[in-house]
Amino acid sequence: MSMIEAAGVHVRFGDRVVLESVDLAVAEGEFHGVMGPNGAGKTTFFNVLTGRVKPDRGSIRLGGEDVTGLSPHRIAAKGIARSFQIMTLFDEFSARDNVMMGLPAFRARGLDMIRAAAGDRSLLDQASGALAAVGLADKADVRAKDLSYGDRRALEIAVALAQAPRVLCLDEPTSGLGSDGVQRLATLVAQLKGKLTIVAIEHDMEFLFSLADRISVIHWGQVVARGTPQELQRNEWVRRSNLGKFA
Amino acid sequence: MFDLLPHLVNGLTLGLLFALIALGFMLIVGLMEQINLAHGSLFALGAYVAMQLTGPRPPLPADVAKVWLALPLGWRYAAALLVAPLVVSLVGMVIEVCMRRTYGKDPLYGLLLTFGAAMVIEELIRLVWGTRDYVLQVPSAVNGGFLFGDLIWSSYRFYAAGIAAGIIGLVWLLIEKTSFGATVKAGAHDSEIVRALGINLARLRLLVFVFGTMLAAVAGIIVAPIWGIRPHMGVDAVIPAFLVIVLGGVGSFWGAVVAGLLVGLCVGLAGAYASEWSLLSMYILLVAVVTFRARGLWGKKSVLEV
Amino acid sequence: MIVGSTTSSDAVRLVTPTMLLLWLVLATVPLWIARIGLYPYLGIEILIWALYALAFNLVLGTAGLPSFGHGAYFGIGAYAFGLCQFDIVANLWICLAAAALAAGVAGAIVALFISHRRGIYYAFMTIAFGQIFWTLSIKSHRVTGGEDGLLKIRRLPADFGVVSFDLTDNVAFYYFVLAVFAVGIVVLWRLVHSPYGRVIAAIKQSEVRAAHLGYNVWLYKASVFTLSAALSGFAGGLFAMAQLAAFPDVMSLHQSGYVVMMTLVGGGLVSFWGPVIGVLLFLTARDVIGAFTNAWMLYFGLLFMAIVLFRPEGIAGAIAAAMQQHSLNALRRRGSSAMRLLFGGGR
Repeated sequence: MSMIEAAGVHVRFGDRVVLESVDLAVAEGEFHGVMGPNGAGKTTFFNVLTGRVKPDRGSIRLGGEDVTGLSPHRIAAKGIARSFQIMTLFDEFSARDNVMMGLPAFRARGLDMIRAAAGDRSLLDQASGALAAVGLADKADVRAKDLSYGDRRALEIAVALAQAPRVLCLDEPTSGLGSDGVQRLATLVAQLKGKLTIVAIEHDMEFLFSLADRISVIHWGQVVARGTPQELQRNEWVRRSNLGKFA
Repeated sequence: MFDLLPHLVNGLTLGLLFALIALGFMLIVGLMEQINLAHGSLFALGAYVAMQLTGPRPPLPADVAKVWLALPLGWRYAAALLVAPLVVSLVGMVIEVCMRRTYGKDPLYGLLLTFGAAMVIEELIRLVWGTRDYVLQVPSAVNGGFLFGDLIWSSYRFYAAGIAAGIIGLVWLLIEKTSFGATVKAGAHDSEIVRALGINLARLRLLVFVFGTMLAAVAGIIVAPIWGIRPHMGVDAVIPAFLVIVLGGVGSFWGAVVAGLLVGLCVGLAGAYASEWSLLSMYILLVAVVTFRARGLWGKKSVLEV
Repeated sequence: MIVGSTTSSDAVRLVTPTMLLLWLVLATVPLWIARIGLYPYLGIEILIWALYALAFNLVLGTAGLPSFGHGAYFGIGAYAFGLCQFDIVANLWICLAAAALAAGVAGAIVALFISHRRGIYYAFMTIAFGQIFWTLSIKSHRVTGGEDGLLKIRRLPADFGVVSFDLTDNVAFYYFVLAVFAVGIVVLWRLVHSPYGRVIAAIKQSEVRAAHLGYNVWLYKASVFTLSAALSGFAGGLFAMAQLAAFPDVMSLHQSGYVVMMTLVGGGLVSFWGPVIGVLLFLTARDVIGAFTNAWMLYFGLLFMAIVLFRPEGIAGAIAAAMQQHSLNALRRRGSSAMRLLFGGGR
């Protein structure tokens, strides 16, 4: 059974069709890459997966359960975490507090108005753990807006990881990173591979082709090609569009 | 049905006045994405300045004043209608220059700054003119009433509504049919486009703001004979103005005009059945509309929402 | 501080050194306030408005929601206190609870309509609802007394079962309000630093992220508005006792604007204490400058404009910046003396 499965997803904005019967099934532990030119509908597809956009037709299943049309916070609570292409952090909070907000244990007591948020050792330890996983252990007290670009990208992922998700959706995680940063991210993702189901939109082909188990190519709102990196390199469409040149 | 007619007419004329009051406010919101809460105070200031100019003691040297007072009221009124907005526009300029520091920040800062400016202007009005009520003299040609269908109608209401309709039409022509309007629409708030076109953005914003200010002052002069002149008239104007904008939808010219008419009709008709509650009716109208249409009747998505 | 790290030691405390110092100073006020030409009633007013502004800042500062019609809930609390006293039971605690409840219910109804919004539309809607409540209070002569207000409200005794305090005297009432204020500060401090408060502060920074982390943004926004309204109403109940009446003018757009001004001038956007500083400054300035000129609002308006333009983080923000600068300078001085020790010693 697939961990996350989209079937016949159709999205229209006004009279513009953004996604047309998109299917996607990602097995547990699979790293699935999504690529395609700008404006192809990749981010909209992510927005459907994570509840920001309700599909006009089609369904989304998470571990067999229908989650179509649920609001973002419900879908997040069911175990889909996401990072954002345009970084969306709590800028005034420290790195640790950003991560803390993601912890399911913190979310569970979100309506607690009495105890001090900072009073719980176990929460602090969990947050520190998630920071250490992305190499930010020594920057826990730095405000998110004071972090370097690369560190902010890492924090984006740390927050999503803190959610202990069943599916991690990464929206262009390498965007804006230098080659060192991409390398650091690749190492991190390689560690996660197999333990977590990951769907990643990515433009960096080298990154995607070296890490992904399978890749879907979306163009004009449709899946035009799908397969393992090796299969895709042989794919006529990918070759013609020159997308696979790095592999 | 005929019983209702006076209230309908009353509501429509009131609606045109509301649309006129909202006009300058709308231009500044729509074109600059700035909320000018001082709009009401500038409206009041326009009325006060016009009253001072047409009244028995104009702020002029004694000899000039004598000549001025010898002129017929109609001439003085017409002159005041032109001069008072110019005087008020100076205040508008000062506000805009202060406001420059807030551009690019959260639009709340512009709103707060103009709230402060509104307070300052209202206090200045109290200092200069005190808290008593004044009356703006209008030429006898538009004063008084006439008989129609067994009812006495106030001439001034029709004159005021006519002027309001005329000004609304002129502003529409200016925005839609002139190159100035085109430039302004290209984005007094979208600095990149305007800069790319090689237009002096600072001057453009100043122009839009001053224009909005002058419209506020004109509205004040037109409405003053109906509402009377007192320090609080600014607040009485700014609330319907913002209401009309939200109802019509931020950034929509005809939305504001239609909303103005709707609010006028609503207040007019409510006045017929429950005069005590006529003011309440417009807030309820707003809540009812905005609950179902998030951006008002014809609103577009705006940076003001985030 | 509202924002920043949870790990600062004050965030976990129930009572902080700042609170103790503030309470201590406030407790001495009746001893000297008459000597500087002011009067105890001003102290009462400042404490009540400070509580109101702190409650308001839960929405404006902590949640980042621009509510410009908050006077409505303050006013509803005042009316509810009076009406409860006249028509239900003349018990202080029940009447104060009624004040909070009535304002909370009104706030909850408004929250239903506005909690999916942000920014200017949020502000507009809060103004519209504020105006609705204000108009209702003026027009409902039979219930509220209309523009004349609801008169003859009594300061009910504070009955603790074993002892009962009479509050009709201003000094006694001052100490009662101070005690309530102290409790209010502790409650709000707790609230702001609780997980709930942190979620609210997070939503202020990014609703989108908070939603994707699994927080029901609507519920949090609606609840914080309701809570703030209820607390404002509670303060309004105290205000009715202070004034011995309830008037519609606190519900007007102007007065709602003043609480925004006080909160911002004090620095409510960056500091827990901002609203208190702002209220203190506003009401003292009203009395002190007001003694010399009728146009004190003119000067306060100008000050407000200057603060929006040059110090948008308010007085608390300016103080924090100055302190940071000071400690930075101290650090530099210490640093340079360390350098002398290191390198100068060899010479």
